[in-house]
Amino acid sequence: MTTDRESVDEAFEPYEPKRRVPLPVYWVAIALALWGALTLLRDSSADRTGAKQRIAEATTLERRQTATGSALFAERCATCHQADGTGVDGAIPPLAGSPFVGASPGVIVQILLHGIEGPISVNGSDFDGHMPAFGSVLDDDQLARLATSVRGTWGPGGSISPGFVATERARTAQRTSPWHGGDEIATTLDRTIGVQPAYLPAPRSPDDLTAQSIASIGKAGGWSCASCHGSHGEGRDGVPRLAGLSPDYIARQLLAFTDGSRPNDIMRPVAQQLTAADRVALGRLFASLATPSSSHPALEGDVARGAELALQGDDRRNLPSCFSCHGPSGFGVSPNIPSIAAQRPSYTAGRLAALARLTSRQPGSIMPAIAGRLSDADRRAVADYLATLPPSPATSSKDAR
Amino acid sequence: MNRSLPLVILAMAILAFATVMLVVAPKVQIGREPAAAGLKPYTTEQLRGRALYSSLGCVYCHSQQPRAPDQAPDAERGWGRASIAADYAYDSPHLMGTMRTGPDLLNVGARLPSASWQLTHLYQPRAVSAWSIMPAYPFLFEVKDRASPGDRVVWLPEDRRIPGKVVVAKPEARDLVAYLLSLDRTYPVPRSAIRDDGYSRGGATQ
Repeated sequence: MTTDRESVDEAFEPYEPKRRVPLPVYWVAIALALWGALTLLRDSSADRTGAKQRIAEATTLERRQTATGSALFAERCATCHQADGTGVDGAIPPLAGSPFVGASPGVIVQILLHGIEGPISVNGSDFDGHMPAFGSVLDDDQLARLATSVRGTWGPGGSISPGFVATERARTAQRTSPWHGGDEIATTLDRTIGVQPAYLPAPRSPDDLTAQSIASIGKAGGWSCASCHGSHGEGRDGVPRLAGLSPDYIARQLLAFTDGSRPNDIMRPVAQQLTAADRVALGRLFASLATPSSSHPALEGDVARGAELALQGDDRRNLPSCFSCHGPSGFGVSPNIPSIAAQRPSYTAGRLAALARLTSRQPGSIMPAIAGRLSDADRRAVADYLATLPPSPATSSKDAR
Repeated sequence: MNRSLPLVILAMAILAFATVMLVVAPKVQIGREPAAAGLKPYTTEQLRGRALYSSLGCVYCHSQQPRAPDQAPDAERGWGRASIAADYAYDSPHLMGTMRTGPDLLNVGARLPSASWQLTHLYQPRAVSAWSIMPAYPFLFEVKDRASPGDRVVWLPEDRRIPGKVVVAKPEARDLVAYLLSLDRTYPVPRSAIRDDGYSRGGATQ
């Protein structure tokens, strides 16, 4: 025992003999390093494709901006006026042989800038509809090309320059309403158009003043319409545009907010304050506003795909076109189907996403099912496309006339 | 520890590397970024509101950084486009937040632009949304018998009113609302801006 104890070296310090690092450790290290390098590379390529994608988007936008007059006509006008300019009997006036197309070039430019609301007479037939205003969605260049093309095909020809459009735009910059029928155009712009049916404005009702005050300062201290939807009903990001919606649609929605059939926390408390007369008057007020569109694509959606969905739908995904129900150009069908043109993209996409989550809880409503079949990219595409459309025309309550 | 010097040097080197990559490089990259063209500096009222926003701890539940469409459906929620470095040019320190117990607020001024709505909501979130879990901030308001001239009276739904009394916003509440309404980054992104392209390689569209 003692000898054993003596033989132990008290000052011994443990040490580890030098050993080679096992090969698998190197392999793992090399593999990790390679993985890291690859990830870095892939991330930087993602950065590059992001830039490429932006350039591609910019070129599509540019292509839209540099489209020829006839392409613009096919995209913007042919839905109503038809590709051959014959219009629709009793509903849409023809362009071929129209005195408005044949008149001085200022007339067509002014109609494109502000639209028409009210009766007009073309080639012996009377029409009483709405033509949207393109002043806020097309620039001077595009309007010049479009007007030149229309006048070249169905009118006396000649070229309209962007400068001329700019002058015309500046001349009527103060105008906040569409042209009131053919009569106003003929009397103020070009008398050669001939006699036009008279425009009778809707009579004002005492409720309209109440509606004005609810819209601008609110009812009994409550939140006013304008504080969120803007003083001209133009809407803001995530807040819908109200200007030009159908009066009956607005009144119905206000009722739906009140009774909870359209659940909305922000609208419910204010809608509950309103009487039936208020709802109708507010509907009439917002329907009569001809506010220019302030929407533009903002969700990085594919506008061409959006146009395809809106105009043709997608059979493979069982998606009907938007316009098959929401009317040509998405102007809505009163009283149940709202206008979807010129809405803010974030509002449209957000509404579609919310509808998709509703599934089929609401019997008789088909939008939840359709929205549910739209992919996220499609929702953004269609929302961005609808933002490029001219706003639905203001109505000064044709029924009242 | 018989070879402490190399160890210390290595540790310092790692720290220096991390500092260069995580602090210096981003600072060089973002520091040169000018304020976005559509962005206005905060007014003194908004700055007071901003200080209140920090001190009330809003940042613990509300982020201020909407994400790109392929990372989160923030744009569809109405929270706005993905933010860019230039959006925060006047925020020092930024209040980006990390939690989303409540909605993102970087564009709340565009989404809920009504000052009177904001006041009602701050006084009692349940007056607007019965299911809201946001704390109420009644101490930013005063309950009075009648409003004096210049007072900002807060509208409340009928079931939340106090009979015979009015609720009036204190200056603090008005400052905070001024700050909230200034949160509006809906202007377009400058082409050259440093921005988040998300995870997409094939593009945001599928």
